[in-house]
Amino acid sequence: MNKLRVADLNVLIKYKYETMLKQAPVYACDFEKADIAISIPDSELEALQAENPHLSINDIEYIFTGAAFYESILDFDGIMLHSSGVCVDGYVYLFSADPGTGKSTHTGLWQKYLGSDKAFIINDDKPAIRLIDDKIYVYGTPWSGKTDQNLNMREELGAIVFIEQSKKNFITPISVAEAIPLIMKQTLRPRELDKANKMLDVLDKILTETPVYRLGCDMSREAVELSYNTIKRSN
Amino acid sequence: MKIKDGYLLRCVAGSNIVVPVGEGSMDFSGVITLNGVGAFLWKCLENGSDKETLTEKLTAEYDVDKATAAEDIDDFLKKLREAGLLDE
Repeated sequence: MNKLRVADLNVLIKYKYETMLKQAPVYACDFEKADIAISIPDSELEALQAENPHLSINDIEYIFTGAAFYESILDFDGIMLHSSGVCVDGYVYLFSADPGTGKSTHTGLWQKYLGSDKAFIINDDKPAIRLIDDKIYVYGTPWSGKTDQNLNMREELGAIVFIEQSKKNFITPISVAEAIPLIMKQTLRPRELDKANKMLDVLDKILTETPVYRLGCDMSREAVELSYNTIKRSN
Repeated sequence: MKIKDGYLLRCVAGSNIVVPVGEGSMDFSGVITLNGVGAFLWKCLENGSDKETLTEKLTAEYDVDKATAAEDIDDFLKKLREAGLLDE
C-alpha cells in the first residue's frame, strides 16, 4: 500500500501499474491515519478489464482508482468536475465540456498567450474541488485523464466555464438554473441519497459564490483574450 | 397519487431542482428544475395527495383563486405524468 496526500486528504492506496507509478509519487506523504482507503483487488481489476476489452489493465487501474477517490471525497465536502483547470494569479478557472470539445486546447492556449510561467494546468481533466474553512479550493490530483498534466497544489476557484466550439467568439454569464444540469453532467453522480445530498451541499456553496459562464470559441488569441479578460479575478 | 420513489428535491443556490437517486438514477440522468409553485406541489405530492387537497393547499399558500390554482395543478400533473414521475 502507498500513502499519498491528495486534496488535503490522507489516501492509503494500492497500485502497481505504469500510469499510477508515474503520476502518484509526487503526492507521496507519510501519515498515521488514512482518511480514504482505496484497494481494488486484482480479480476485480481483471473483471473490469474483461468488461472493457479496449482498455489495458493499466488504464483500468488508473480510471477506477480515480473513480474511487472522487466518490470518497463526497464525504469530505468535495466533488470532481470533469474539466481542464488553469491557474493564473492565485485562482483556478475550470473549463468544462464533453470530451473532444477542446477544453484542454483552450487552457493550452491560455498558457501560450499568457505565458506558461503565469498560467499553468493544475489538472487537465478531473480536478477535485473542496470546501475548506468557508473557501472553495481546486486541487491537482494524480488523476488527470489522458494527459499527465497535474500539479500537487491548490488554489481558490475563480470561475467555471462551459465551453463549446464556435466560429464567432462569445462569452456570457449563465444562471444557476442553467448551470446545474451542465455541472451534473460533468461530475460523478452518486446514486445513494446520502451522497447525493452531500454533493448538492457542495454544489450549493459553489454556485452561490462562483460565477459560471458559457464560452463559444475558436483557437485564436482573441478567444483567449475574451475569456481571460471576462473571467479573471484579482486578489 | 404520489411522486415515485427515487427522486430528491433540493434548493441549490436559490434554484429548486430534482435529481434521481437510487433506482431512479438508472433510467433518468437529467435534472428537473421547478419554480416555486412546482416545488410546493412536488412536496405535497411526495407524501401522496389528491387534486382537491392540492387545490386547497395551493390557494392557502399562494394568492391565487381556486379556478387558476386548479388549472396550474392540471398543467403540473400533466407534465409529471408525461415524465413518468407519478404513481396514480
